[in-house]
This record gives sequence, C-alpha cells and structure tokens, in this order.
Amino acid sequence: MTTLVLDNGAYSAKIGYSHDKVSIIQNCQFRSKTSRLKTFTANQLDEIKDRSGLFYILPFQKGYLVNWDVQRKVWDHLFGKDMFKVDFADTSVVITEPYFNFTSIQESMNEILFEEYQFQAALRINAGSLSAHRYFHENSQELCCIVVDSGFSFTHIVPYCRGKKMKDGICRINVGGKLLTNHLKEIISYRQLHVMDETHVINQVKEDVCYVSQDFYKDMDIAQLKGEDNTVMRDYVLPDFSSIKKGFCKPREEMIFTGKYKSGEQILRLTNERFAVPEMLFHPSDIGIQEMGIPEALVHSINNMPEEMQPHFYKNIVLTGGNTLFPGFRDRVYKQIRSLAPNDFQVSVVLPPNPISYPWEGGKLLAENPDFDEMVVTREDYEENGHFICEEKFDI
Amino acid sequence: MVLEKKSSIRVAEAGQRRVLDEATRQRRLNRQLDALEKDNFQDDPLSSLPPSGPAARLPAFSEGDEPGKKKRKTRGDHFKQRFRKNFQTLLEEENLSEREEPNYLSAAASPSSLPPRVFCSVCGFPSPYTCCSCGGRYCSTRCLQTHRETRCLKMTL
Ligand SMILES: Nc1ncnc2c1ncn2[C@@H]1O[C@H](COP(=O)(O)OP(=O)(O)O)[C@@H](O)[C@H]1O
Ligand SMILES: [Mg+2]
Repeated sequence: MTTLVLDNGAYSAKIGYSHDKVSIIQNCQFRSKTSRLKTFTANQLDEIKDRSGLFYILPFQKGYLVNWDVQRKVWDHLFGKDMFKVDFADTSVVITEPYFNFTSIQESMNEILFEEYQFQAALRINAGSLSAHRYFHENSQELCCIVVDSGFSFTHIVPYCRGKKMKDGICRINVGGKLLTNHLKEIISYRQLHVMDETHVINQVKEDVCYVSQDFYKDMDIAQLKGEDNTVMRDYVLPDFSSIKKGFCKPREEMIFTGKYKSGEQILRLTNERFAVPEMLFHPSDIGIQEMGIPEALVHSINNMPEEMQPHFYKNIVLTGGNTLFPGFRDRVYKQIRSLAPNDFQVSVVLPPNPISYPWEGGKLLAENPDFDEMVVTREDYEENGHFICEEKFDI
Repeated sequence: MVLEKKSSIRVAEAGQRRVLDEATRQRRLNRQLDALEKDNFQDDPLSSLPPSGPAARLPAFSEGDEPGKKKRKTRGDHFKQRFRKNFQTLLEEENLSEREEPNYLSAAASPSSLPPRVFCSVCGFPSPYTCCSCGGRYCSTRCLQTHRETRCLKMTL
C-alpha cells in the first residue's frame, strides 16, 4: 500500500508519494492566444511557448473548490499515466482542504475520492495542520505553535496546541498572492503599460522584484529620489517569448537612469511598487480592506488563547505559503511581533527552507506515522457509513 | 493643519464640480476590490472564436472540449447541480450567521486598530490631499491633473 500526499492549493498542487519527493504543479488549466482550441492542463503549461495573454481557468474561488470540472481534469492529469500513475486499488491519499471548508464541498470531496477515483483510504486535513505536524516533529519539546499560511487566496493564522487545532484562534486575512498580483497589474497598467491581460508575466515580476520593507516610509523616501540615489528602483525587462523567454531585472551597472535604453526591449520601471504591493499583507487597509495585517492578527489570535499558552505561541511562529518568500518577510514579522509582544516573552519566527512544500512534508511524515491507519477513513468505512464517518473522523 | 488649508484652495473650483456621495464612493471601492479577485480581464481565447455567445464564455463547463478523450462517468443530475455552486451560494447555504462555533465568517480578521495610511492614487507615494469630487488621494498638482483626466469622475460606476 502506498500513500499519495496532495496539498491541493488554489495556486499549486504540492504532490508526491510519501516515500518520494514533492512536485509543485500549477492547479489550473490554461488557454493561449496561439492555440485557441486547446486547453492546457497543469504542467502542460510547459508546451506553451508564448505565455503572453495567458487565460486562466481556476478550480478555486476565494480559496474554496467550486469548479469541479477543472479540478477533475487537473487530478486526472496528475494521477494519470503521464505523471503519478496512481494505482487506486493500492493507494491511500492525504489531501488538504481550506479551513472551514463548506459542507457540500466536503461531501463532494468524499464522493470523488472514494466513488470516482476509488482510493483505498483517505485523510482529509487542513494544510496548516500538516505544517503543525511537521513543526512538532522537529521541535518535539514545544507545546504550541502558531502557523501563518499565506497562499494564493488568503492568509490564515492558526494556533495549534499539542497538535490540536485551536479553532477559536483561527484568523483569516483576505489578502493572498492573487490579490497582490492583480494589484500590481492594476498599478502598472495605470502608471506605465497596459498589462491587465498579463497575469502570468506580472506574477513573475512580483516574485522577481517585490520585497517586504523593513522601514516603509524610509523606503518611500528613497523610492522618490532621482538617479542613482534611488536604490529601490529597478528596470525589469519583460519577456517577448522569442529572444527573451523569461523576464529579469537589469543589472544595476547596466541601468540607464535618465533617457532610454537603445536595445529596444520592453522595460517596466518599478519603484514604490516593489514594496507597496507586499505591504498589503501588513496593512490591508492601504487598499481599503478593513482588516488587520499579519503581525496584528497574530497578536490578536494569540490573545484569544488561554493565558498560560500565550508565551509558547510567541516563541513558535511558523511561516508557510508562497508569500512568505518575499525577501524581508520574516524579519518584518519578527520586528513587529517583537514590538507588540510583552517584553519578557521570547519571540521566535521561523521561516522554513521551503515554506511552500512545508505542509506537504508534514503530510509525508504523517503518512509514515504509526497512528496514520487510525486517522484515515477506508473505502469500506465510507461505503458502509457514508459522509457521516468522514465528518466524525476528519477535522476540517 | 497646513496641509488641509492647501487643499481648501481648491474648494472654490470644486464648487463647480460634481461631488460623489458616500454611497457612490463605497460602491466604487467595492468594485475595485472585486476586480482584485478576478481570474482574467481578457476574454477567453476559445470563446472569441465562432460560435460565440454567453455559453461559450463558460469554458470549464463545456462537455466535450477535447474530443476523442473519454470522460469519466458522473452520476445523475443532482450530482451535477452540486458541482456547480459558486462561492456565494455555498456560503449562503451554510447559514453561518446563526452558528455559535467558530466559522468562515467569524474567522475574518477584524479591522486594524492602526491609523489608516494614505497614498496618492496616481503615483503611490504618501499623499496628504483628498480630491473633493471623489475622495481619491493625490500628492501634487501634477498627479491631481492626471487623476482628474483619467479617473475621478471619469470612472464608470
Ligand atoms: N518567491 C516568491 N515570492 C513571492 N511570492 C511567491 C513566491 N513564490 C510563490 N509566490 C506566490 O505564492 C502564491 C502561492 O503560494 P502557495 O502557498 O503555493 O498557495 P496555495 O497553497 O494557495 O496554492 C502565489 O500567489 C505565488 O505568486
Ligand atoms: Mg496552501
């Protein structure tokens, strides 16, 4: 019997057998201007040479799985002969779902896993719970941890105590990587070049040039300076998908501060965009979302926990999800938490080496755990007891 | 404050300009926030081929978009129905506002207690001034001009 671990994110599926390594694959379909009749699924994106104007078909809406046709196409592809060649008769699955997943989505999930694909057993769980498992595995002396999961659709802050999810402390900020990319698209389109149709390209710009500021107003001042003094400014060479396959930043020594580049590539000049975009994670109200930012929400969530646990949370803050990869993210969270936390509390903020696949690694560990067989629902269980048994066993 | 005084110089001029009411400003903000949730801004390349029409805009639900591939059998119509609910429908179905235990609605982060920060809607730098017509922010006469020419009252509501 093998176990397939699938952290089914709204942006990417983190997938692999528990005895093997993880693959990160986009969880969506695409259509391209160059071959309009074909729909590309997941990593078939590699077949598209010209990725300008890429059209996305996403299975998730606001972080919840609503478009099952698309999801099934992606899963068929992932499970199928081109990729993981899943032998359903001999395979269990660990699969993630968002916090507070809706009942009807949960039921659809059971039906598809057990009735359509016919996995032998399944464990449905939150990605954050897998991260907590991963964290406690490595830090077995710790009693509590608080997981920040900042992904595509939103950011969750979730306290765990001795492996148990503390539901009263769960806090969701409606800012994720999708919003950041769309916001960047919007401001670039208004200020210099129409890129509203270029989600793929601008998402790459975001990942290549944006960072979290350690001193926001100081960076604002620097970003206003003229010429070489403006150390924030970057010129980003956009891909043309013929000679330039991937965009990149002009090396500092090749930057021309006044006047035009002779080479004729298409350039985006980025100044305050570089840090004002990730800043939404710290100040959602900057764009009119009336919610706390990550550090404030962390403190708020910890304050909802029993007092004797609070110091334990402050010293076990774990950052996961793609947005935590912005340079400066960890340091900024640390700095703000340090200033908000009581002085005599130790503060520790951990950014794992691979925050995107951290939950998957937790799933891998869990699948190898002796208790694993107790945690799953088998197909037999499900056939006998239906959704009820899943509701009993899974903590979504 | 000095800054406020400066912006009041424009009040006379603003007298002749249409001023958006609070409800309209809120609507405008909501629309901007909704736009940030969109998957695509362009049309589906497939639907821009004939035959076009509203049905073709729903690429994901088309039955046989890849001819020749065999489709997994799904169960009856009711099953299909459930697989087509959007986020809003699902949320309403859950009746969360009546629930006591923590849930999707109760988990939403509350408003920040930090003071709001304001940025020029044109260049993104900190901005002390508020447009009298629409409530948008600007930082200089140059940005104000751009704002009026491009957004302000020109944005469709
Ligand atoms: N190096 C990076 N810097 C900033 N953002 C990144 C980076 N890598 C990935 N992301 C963003 O992280 C998001 C996906 O994160 P992930 O945790 O995989 O989300 P999900 O689990 O919701 O699919 C995307 O919006 C992506 O643009
Ligand atoms: Mg995730």
